[in-house]
Amino acid sequence: MIDLKPVQWVKHIAVHPFEGFENMRWKKSGSIKIAFFIVFLLFLSLIAKERFYGFQFHSSYDKTFNIIPFISGSIIIFTAWVIGNWSVCTLLDGEGTMKNICIYSAYALVPYIAQNFINTVLSHLLIRDEFVFMQAIEIIGVCWTALLLFSAVKSVHQYTFRKTVLAIILIMASIMIMFILLVLFLALIQQIYNFILTVYTEISYRVRV
Amino acid sequence: MTYESYNYDKWHEAVPSQAGYIAECSVSGCDLGTEDFNNISDIFYAHNDIFYIVDSGNNRIVAIDSDFDNVVGVYDKFMMPDNSETTLKNPTGIYILAENNCMYIADNGNSRILISDLNGNIIKEITKPDSEIYSQDKTFLPQKVIADKAGNIYVVLNNITTGAAMFSSDGDFTGFYGANRVEPTAQIIRNYLTDIFVSDEKKSRRIRNIPTGITSFDIDGDFIFTCTSSSSQKTDTVKKLNAAGDNIFSDSQITFGDYTPMYDTSQNRLLAPAIVDIDISEDGNINCLDFTTGRIFQYDKDCNLLFITGTSSDQLGGFGNVSAVESSGDKLYVTDSMRNTVTVFSETDFGKIVHEASELYNSGYYEEALQPWQEVLKRDGNYRQAYIGVALGYLRKGDYENSMKYAKLADDSDIYNKAFEGWRNDFIKSNFRKILMIIFTVLFFVVSFRRFRNRRRNND
Repeated sequence: MIDLKPVQWVKHIAVHPFEGFENMRWKKSGSIKIAFFIVFLLFLSLIAKERFYGFQFHSSYDKTFNIIPFISGSIIIFTAWVIGNWSVCTLLDGEGTMKNICIYSAYALVPYIAQNFINTVLSHLLIRDEFVFMQAIEIIGVCWTALLLFSAVKSVHQYTFRKTVLAIILIMASIMIMFILLVLFLALIQQIYNFILTVYTEISYRVRV
Repeated sequence: MTYESYNYDKWHEAVPSQAGYIAECSVSGCDLGTEDFNNISDIFYAHNDIFYIVDSGNNRIVAIDSDFDNVVGVYDKFMMPDNSETTLKNPTGIYILAENNCMYIADNGNSRILISDLNGNIIKEITKPDSEIYSQDKTFLPQKVIADKAGNIYVVLNNITTGAAMFSSDGDFTGFYGANRVEPTAQIIRNYLTDIFVSDEKKSRRIRNIPTGITSFDIDGDFIFTCTSSSSQKTDTVKKLNAAGDNIFSDSQITFGDYTPMYDTSQNRLLAPAIVDIDISEDGNINCLDFTTGRIFQYDKDCNLLFITGTSSDQLGGFGNVSAVESSGDKLYVTDSMRNTVTVFSETDFGKIVHEASELYNSGYYEEALQPWQEVLKRDGNYRQAYIGVALGYLRKGDYENSMKYAKLADDSDIYNKAFEGWRNDFIKSNFRKILMIIFTVLFFVVSFRRFRNRRRNND
């Protein structure tokens, strides 16, 4: 049937939103290296959007640059999605392994990343009156990625349409729970840290006297 | 200059700046050869080049000449129309109308407005209006008074939050003018929602949502500028009202005073701005006097911040409790009701250039303003308004490349957008052939490459 190189699979999936993932699954293709590279590209595209956007559309705060929001907006969210996906779908009789979920989800991100880069370039060529074109590209990119993500979940676990919808809702909920737990955990750690710090200060004062 | 002057950059953060005004001297009653002032509450520069200072504690009004070194008159007794004598009691505001040479005095302690000629003969006395609109259980305590060209009188009252009381030139009460809006805080929205369910009895016991009243105002031609000193209020701290009482500044999101209230560690409180007085200078600049920090914030007609002058410390140009600000020519006069002095600020060279540039700029002479703005930038590279001025000047001249550069420095994306549009048009016009050639060559190569590939595939 189709014989493609690993990089060609990315293109194949992007232009075949419905049967692309099924074909890839059939061929047992997909590379984890490329998946990681795509996530890294997502991270870069977010930075490009914030820092290299045309000035007429967006002005950034130049005094400091904080990289944490970009890491959490790309890599951490992606990790949360993959972990949530795996933990939910293991319970829902999904067939995907952690590795496959990671690969399929990352491949689905390509249109969104492309949209970010295309708009970053276009923002230097267009004026505000022509913003509609950029908006259109953005909407298309986001919808396309959403469609691909849906298709990815469907084919990696071999679900029916209805089960996929259910799974995606549960994945979203699990991501929420993860973040809430994370915040709670961080708050707790901070409390403990403060406690230890005060004890240490107290002791160090006593010892000196 | 003994205190550091500052201005705000494009991200609304304070940056060091050149001073627009420096304190020249501080004048007390003694210096002028009269009894020391006691609690100065207002100052007014009249059309006859005389300053009128309201000396509340001494129940008098002192007239001082334009050089600010001689007393030319002291008003403490007035002649009523029936030839009886009357005195002031804690006067708090004064206004002199050029059209009829009359003095309008807010006589707070006697609950009345006095209209007198410049010799102290009272023409009219306005007391608490006997009207249904004016709630009779409220006292009548005039705080500040102004009059417009037609002789209509506007009075700020201490305990009235529904705006300034308005009187016709005959002294008849005609209504209220320019009330502040209630700030839409979360609590007010909550109250609004609970009001649907709560009984009337309960409602009446709750603190009502009323806006803070006007603190002071000034008139400039057809517009009345009001200020409100409540430091908890964020909206409507400074308003520009037209004849109908509509606020022209209401749509623009401008913060008057300091952008971020500073935390004062020595007093353990936030220094939220409280604009106690406002003054419109002859060239239309708006001077706002901030009580908390003792600073005068000067804005141009379009509310762009020009200068921040003054401080709250024990030095020349520092204040205890500022009470009023007045301008004449290139000078600013600020009264201090605690130290009972009037401090005279005079414009620096830098201030002069900025004023010149901003006046040209605000009248639409962007190209003419280009040179003075560039001079401003030579002296102070932190001055944001100058970057905007230069960017607009270049834009008007058609020098789009420089305009883009300065618009970027000023963080003004509107100007940048226009300049970029012009630059792009120029670029396309001058390089149209090259662009077409590049497009055609690329298309040619793509098409021939595809043909070549297809042929090879078919051969395979």
